[in-house]
Amino acid sequence: MPKSKTRNPKSKTLPEIQFTGVPMKVERTEPAMVIEWPRSLVHHHTYGLLSPFFEGLKQGVLRATHCTTPGCEKGYWLPPRADCPDCHARMEWHEFRNPVVGEVFTFTHVEYPGHGIEISYPYYQIDVKIPGCCTVMKGYLVRGKAKIGMKVKARFRKKDPTNTILDLYWEPAD
Amino acid sequence: MIRFKPGNLRVPRFQRPVYVVAAGTTDYRKHYPERKLEELTMMAFKMLLEENDLKADPLETKGLINMAVYGEFADHFQDQLLCEAKVHDYLGLDPLPNIGIKTGGATGGYSVLVGANSIASGYSNCTLVMGWERMDEVDTRTGNFYISTAACKDFETRLARMYASYYAPMARRFAHVFKVKEEIRAAIAVKNKGYALMSPFGHGGKKLTVEEVLAGRIACDPLHMDECCLMSVGSAAMLLCDEDTAYKLSDHPMRLNICGGTHTLRVADRRNLEVPLLPNETPGMYDWMEKKLNEPYPGFQSFLASRFAAYMAYRMAGVWGDPCDELDLVELHDAFTISDLQTYGDIGLRPYGKEEEYITSGDAYYGGRCPSNLSGGLLGTMHAVGATGVFQGVECFWQLQGKYDKFHGDPGMWERYGKKKPKDWQSLQIPKRRRALWISHAGVGSHVTCGILTNPREVKG
Repeated sequence: MPKSKTRNPKSKTLPEIQFTGVPMKVERTEPAMVIEWPRSLVHHHTYGLLSPFFEGLKQGVLRATHCTTPGCEKGYWLPPRADCPDCHARMEWHEFRNPVVGEVFTFTHVEYPGHGIEISYPYYQIDVKIPGCCTVMKGYLVRGKAKIGMKVKARFRKKDPTNTILDLYWEPAD
Repeated sequence: MIRFKPGNLRVPRFQRPVYVVAAGTTDYRKHYPERKLEELTMMAFKMLLEENDLKADPLETKGLINMAVYGEFADHFQDQLLCEAKVHDYLGLDPLPNIGIKTGGATGGYSVLVGANSIASGYSNCTLVMGWERMDEVDTRTGNFYISTAACKDFETRLARMYASYYAPMARRFAHVFKVKEEIRAAIAVKNKGYALMSPFGHGGKKLTVEEVLAGRIACDPLHMDECCLMSVGSAAMLLCDEDTAYKLSDHPMRLNICGGTHTLRVADRRNLEVPLLPNETPGMYDWMEKKLNEPYPGFQSFLASRFAAYMAYRMAGVWGDPCDELDLVELHDAFTISDLQTYGDIGLRPYGKEEEYITSGDAYYGGRCPSNLSGGLLGTMHAVGATGVFQGVECFWQLQGKYDKFHGDPGMWERYGKKKPKDWQSLQIPKRRRALWISHAGVGSHVTCGILTNPREVKG
């Protein structure tokens, strides 16, 4: 990035301020002036207390949380959450034994995804009911055709993980 | 399992009545390079002040305003934080207080709710509520990605980056549970896009058949492109007042009641719950859902937030009977045909499990018992997200005032937006004008408001 010219300490005049950016492209002038305004950003996003879940995916392990307070929800939370919404106690981690088999509760065939999609499409996005869970986990099917009630098995992207939820995916269990 | 305690179910009560006195809107477009955002809000504000037959001149009316509530869905779209300050200054309202509201697709509805509370509490005698969205700074797929960040960024957004993909599984489960054919959803698209042809404000009106909708391109199966809402640019506004100010300004203000409800951001996290019953429903009437179908409530088929908002709003506004008999118009959040269909059960236009009857009976159509989305809705007219929940209320307000034709049928109104009034234009003015309801809805049902306008000339008390 260009800097202002170094100031001569003996000089009494301040250096002229320079434009250091990139000129915006004019896209159109009618019916009004419209410019192209590029945006490129990096966020530093934490998984916080859910880090064990995302670490688990890389190790080929599916982890959920559950509350041990009597009277609270008995099922496992998946997606996990660190704190119980009913009694506010810190939940405990549970590790599912592989193979983790669930059932397709509902699904969609995604033909028109949004900008930046990171998996090839069209593909089946599935909502999976896992025995013991009080929730229904969203995921995607890597092969086969989805159907309500079909059994699916969890798989993990251990090699070249994306470090996102895309490291968990499903395939037909049979 | 959520367990309500008595305090949770207290029905809201305003400390003094709240009225809608005037309304304004821009037209809505996919791209609106002709105007900057604040210039669009000025268009809506001027219409509100100048075209509502108020008894005070525009600047005198403006001189009564005590505060403003502004709704904007996403800073991503405007690419401008504190847009509220920019708009407020542009409208010439400094140094009056203003507040920005952000509750996703329900931003407009919650802006009205907060505005109503400012009147009800006595903080303000006259509050401007305004919503807007500028969704044309990015292309459609980027817009879809932005909207999908209103799903859970850790567990959902990456799975499609497209909101239709979060509604499509609900559509499939709804059809599976209640055995509803896709023709019903398609009929909703045909209806609402057809009504949009009568609106000078809209940009998605289309003459379609059910077959054409179903033969169209798929967005996320089973939802077709024509079953998905528009992405728009525009602004809408409403003026709320206490009773004295309302009648000082207008001979025909509408009484406002409005309540909200919420539920999980992720459908995944919905836990089973007993159905909260609307005033006209009876205990035990939904036992079949769990006993016969073994289907949880609200599951993937219903919206607890909408049910909760209607549960409260009906009691607050005194709607004790069959909503189809007591309401003369509803404007629902038809972001997708399926969300429209699901809502019929949530707000009691039909009992749960019989939602499709609202369409097949003809009740939902102009001339029917309780027509819906005569504005053209989000499918046909507009979805400039922050403006939407205000715009729906604006349409209800003008309908109850008997001014549908004034705002939709005047050729000058069409010309104002560079359009020509269609030769086959038809008035959709509702004949009975007692009450109108609108639903403002976010996420996959994360935030919902249920607003009810009551015409004091028709309904006493």
